[in-house]
Amino acid sequence: MTFLRQLAKSAGFGSVVGVGVMLIAFTLIDFSGWWTARTLSNVIHFTSILGLIAIGQALVIISKEIDLSVGSVYGLAGIAFITLEPSLGVPGSMAAALAIAALCGLAQGILVVWGGLPSMIVTLGGLFTFRGVIYVWTGGSVRNFSTDAREHWLTRLFGGEFLGFENALLWMLLMLAVLSVVLKLTRFGNHLLATGGSAESAESRGVRIDRVKIATFVICSLMAGFAGIITLADRPQTHVTIGDLLELEAISAAVIGGCLLSGGRGSLIGAVLGAFIVTSFRYELIALGAPSSWFITFVGIVLIVAVIFNQKLARWAGHNV
Amino acid sequence: MPDAKPLIQVKNLNLYFGNFHALKNVSVDFHAGELVGLVGDNGAGKTTLIRVLCGIHKPTDGEVYFDGKLVKEFHPKLAIDQGIETIQQSVGLCDNLSIARNFYLGREPVRKVLGIPLLDFAKMRGEATKVIRAFGLRDNVSADDEVERLSGGERQSVKIGRAVEFKNRVVIMDEPTNHLSVREREHVNELALQLRNQGLLVIYITHDIFQVHKLADRIVIMENGEKIEDASTDKMSAEALEEVIRQGGRVVEKMES
Repeated sequence: MTFLRQLAKSAGFGSVVGVGVMLIAFTLIDFSGWWTARTLSNVIHFTSILGLIAIGQALVIISKEIDLSVGSVYGLAGIAFITLEPSLGVPGSMAAALAIAALCGLAQGILVVWGGLPSMIVTLGGLFTFRGVIYVWTGGSVRNFSTDAREHWLTRLFGGEFLGFENALLWMLLMLAVLSVVLKLTRFGNHLLATGGSAESAESRGVRIDRVKIATFVICSLMAGFAGIITLADRPQTHVTIGDLLELEAISAAVIGGCLLSGGRGSLIGAVLGAFIVTSFRYELIALGAPSSWFITFVGIVLIVAVIFNQKLARWAGHNV
Repeated sequence: MPDAKPLIQVKNLNLYFGNFHALKNVSVDFHAGELVGLVGDNGAGKTTLIRVLCGIHKPTDGEVYFDGKLVKEFHPKLAIDQGIETIQQSVGLCDNLSIARNFYLGREPVRKVLGIPLLDFAKMRGEATKVIRAFGLRDNVSADDEVERLSGGERQSVKIGRAVEFKNRVVIMDEPTNHLSVREREHVNELALQLRNQGLLVIYITHDIFQVHKLADRIVIMENGEKIEDASTDKMSAEALEEVIRQGGRVVEKMES
């Protein structure tokens, strides 16, 4: 029991339980539909994309803020990557797309920190603003990569496969490892956790909470932009609604994964497992032949159940939440 | 014995929050090796003055000198770097972090692993453990435990232990014995004296004049954002000082006129 309690102290534990319960349930309900190469490969691909965004979102939530703009930043970076390629080449457009994403995060972070505005409002503004830019920029038209650009080594590095694994999965796991180390083992990570736990206390110890928060928004936008690039490197065709509602899935994934909106607690592995749960529900519903519109309802239910469960779990483990 | 030259010198300090005049032309000196009691009712401006000294508020006008040099920039980080440590009632520890992480918050030691600076947990844990044992935390509390497990007295001990550990020059204690048991209170007061005897400047904020009169070399009384009394404890009794607080500075004005 003590050992279990110790395990439950880590923020991601609830999502491990969640994944276990979900896999058992799907196996019992729909063994033949769930355990197919097609379903699993789709689930893994979209878990990787959503996981990247959810990792960034988790960092922002740990800092006690929220970023509603990630879906639009994801779309904007992806579209910049495709649209700028003819003039800048693949490496150039990739760098430009990441720079645009970073700027989105920087601008929002500055408004939140120095403007003293709630991040919910600032990033809601960002959601609309960046989506608007996508509409104006593309004029609603669809763009494609040329054959040369599709064959470019960089495009293949981000969109292709390696030893039978999709590169998207490998990139996501790499970012998960790097950012988990940053969060748990570096000075910046300690400052980030402290900022989310008690900004006032962190500041009184000399932590530059303004810089910490801005940096976190930039990382979050970069992760969303990176996910957009990976999506389009894999299937290089744009559409104006790309990334619509993705912010809600990313926040859900982070919260299902054990991030508390009260800040200071969360797990990046949990966020990825949360992304796995959200994505699995989508493809299991497809495999069951249910209308796809049910998906959102299910995400909503899973989210609420997960929040209740995670909170009970945290209290049982002895946290004051 | 205190040095002749003040370590902190506050000159004609004014601070406004919007239209509210929070500090009114305050001038006061603080010396190394001195324990100064800063006393006054709620809203007198004690904490506001301290927040200027520890870099949270920037004065509207007036000067602050630290070690003879004019302070131009105000930020908590700069104050800490200068060796000014503030122990506040409810601020200073993050509940979600371990004691070791809290202990080194803002000045974490790092160790390079493959060229990457990572937190030096061995050092953080080792030092924090030494301090929490020396400061009498429960035996079953480890440096890896989150601060949310600690009692009020234990939290205060961690903060004071941290102030002692980092070779500071100034330790500011804001109501350090609030919510503490009698024994914990005595322990904290002993520590304050110890710090003074080591040659540090200790500024002790409280509204309990009788408690601080026993400890302090000098008492500064504030009222409505003004300094209304500044006397050494061997010149004025606690009762006389209490009368000053009760009269809200009117005694002083009468004497001046």
